[in-house]
Formats: sequence, C-alpha cells, structure tokens
Amino acid sequence: MPNPLQDEVPMQSGQSPYGKMLQDCLRGELRVVNTGLPQSQKRQSKENKLFYLLNEKYPHVVCNDGSTHFFKKSELEYLASMIDTDEQKALPLPMLIELGANQAEAAIICEGKVEEKVISKALNMPVTCEERGIRIYKPQLALLRRKFKTTTVYVFSPKIVA
Amino acid sequence: MPELIKVRPTKIELVKLKRRLSLSQRVQKIVKDRLSILTMEFLQTARDTVEAKRKLLDELSKLYKALSVAAGYHGYIALEKELIATEVDVKVTAGLGNVAGVRIPSFELMGNVKPIKGYNLVDTSSWLDRAAQLSEESLRAIVELAELQRNFELLAMEINRTKRITNALEYIVIPGLQVTIKYLNMKFEERDREEKARLKRVKVLVARG
Repeated sequence: MPNPLQDEVPMQSGQSPYGKMLQDCLRGELRVVNTGLPQSQKRQSKENKLFYLLNEKYPHVVCNDGSTHFFKKSELEYLASMIDTDEQKALPLPMLIELGANQAEAAIICEGKVEEKVISKALNMPVTCEERGIRIYKPQLALLRRKFKTTTVYVFSPKIVA
Repeated sequence: MPELIKVRPTKIELVKLKRRLSLSQRVQKIVKDRLSILTMEFLQTARDTVEAKRKLLDELSKLYKALSVAAGYHGYIALEKELIATEVDVKVTAGLGNVAGVRIPSFELMGNVKPIKGYNLVDTSSWLDRAAQLSEESLRAIVELAELQRNFELLAMEINRTKRITNALEYIVIPGLQVTIKYLNMKFEERDREEKARLKRVKVLVARG
C-alpha cells in the first residue's frame, strides 16, 4: 500500500476498463434476479388466474423481460384439486416468494385468502397472512418448491434491489 | 492484501468510490441470497434426480421382465406384428421456467401417451397389457429425468458463476474500494494538516516582519 503521506500522486485519471466492466456486471446482476417475474399488468388481469390457465393449451405467463414462464398442467391440476372454482378464479399465478433481508425466512406474497388456503394445505399446517405475506421458514420453503416447481417464483425484495 | 484502485485524489472521486462501494455491498447481499437459493434448489434437484434415476431403472427392469414374459408367451414374430400397430407419436410440451434468474427447461408429456391400445386385445394376453402400461410409466420417468438432469447441470453452472462473483466481491472489489476510500480520506486529512501548518508559518512570518 502506498504511503498516504507522500506528496506525489500515483493515480491515473478516469475509471479503468476493468472497473467499468465490473460495474456493468454488477448492475446486470441486479437486473437478472427479477427478470422472471410476471409483467405487472398481466398479474392484475384474469388471464393469469388458475381457472383460466387450466383451460389454456400451453399455460404460461409473460415475464418482465418478454420471455414466457411455463406452467405444468399436472401442477395446475393439483392446485385446482385443493380449491373450488371461485377460488380458482381468484388465485393469481405464479405465486411469488419474496426473499427479504432475513435469510432464514421467506414470505409468500398473497392478495387474498386463497393463497393462505393453498399453502396451508400444501404444507399441511395452519398459516396466516400478515401484511400481505405468509411467512415461512427455509425447510418449509424447500417443501413448497418441491410441490410447486413451476407455479412459484422467487422475488428479491425491492428494498434490497432498489 | 487488497489492491489500491488508481484514481485521482479528489473529493469527486471519493464520492464516486463511496457510491461504488454501496452498490457493490448491495449486489453482494443479493448475490449471496441468490447463491443460497440456488444451492437449496440444486440440492433438491440432486435428490430428485437420484430418486428419478432409481425409479427409471426400476421401471425399465420391470418392463424388460414383462416384455420377456410376453415374448415368451406369444413368440417374437407374433409380438412384433402386434406391436407395429401400437406405434404412436409422443408429444412432449417443453417450456422455460425461472429459478432466481436461471432459465430452466420443463418438460411434460401431453395427456395420455396411449389412450387406446393399438394391438388386438382379443389375440393378446394380459402380459402385453402389463408391458404396455410399464412402458408408459418408463416414458414418463425418462421425461422427468431429462428435465431434472438438465436443471441440475444449469443450476450447477450458475452456482459456479455466482460463487466466482461472490468471491470477487468479497475478496477483491469491496476490500479494494474500502482501502482506496481510506487512502483518500487520509490524503485529504494530510492536506488539511499541511494547510494548517502553512498558515501558522505564514502568521509567524507576518508577525516577525
């Protein structure tokens, strides 16, 4: 390390190409984590509700980056077997699993009671929705992901990403 | 020892470096979270792959046994004649999913593989039915294993890449930025001290003169 008390300035002007590349790479990392989320307008629409997806030949939603997220029919049918028709019309897919600052737990973002019912049945334990989220721990998360591989998607908390 | 980044010792550069440090620390947090999720998914996929492989081997072993019995019962020529009619196209739906930024494929056999048996049910025995049923199950197991193995490979590659980024951030980028910021701060403090000493000296000279 150079002596800070020295008068001479051993620095070069501007950022090195390596530094620029690194910064671009880091910004790319921030972008890539949430690219798999469904487009916001699509999430509000009825096309991404379980009931309508069940009737599609190739059930899918369009993601933020323009790509598609494919759902397995078998998973949709399993989900449909848990809830009645009205609830199927209210369940938006994919279900979003938010990873927050605390690494030990995750939250499933829910807009209604339907998600609560589904998660409760899938995990075989009672869960409650608090502040638009169902809090679950890592072992339960693994169990949930095993059952709903294509119908759940990870979201990195906007508090961290912003 | 972290390397010092070559920048001009100015306040603007210090502000820029502080911004870069904050960005790097945020990215490090996200990358670490992502790595933990990818590792969890990878381990789960590994377990599922082992299970699927075992299942496939069991299914295939049962299938070959059932087919041997059916061949023994009907004879090879008769069996082959019956099986020619049973050939159908298998339709597999392939799509992409997303796990923490990794695009992974998912395959699914469309509907029932063979809702109607192509062979003559009157002329054939239940051994052939059993073999046909087992072949369907084997096909499903093959598709499932194909998906899991591809996911396994993709997740492993992404974990490697993410680990390299995490290590680069943890051991090179962030320490380098911290050291440079510290160096610049010390430089500015030293300039202030020099300035103060110079002023004192000037004051003394003015008082003398």
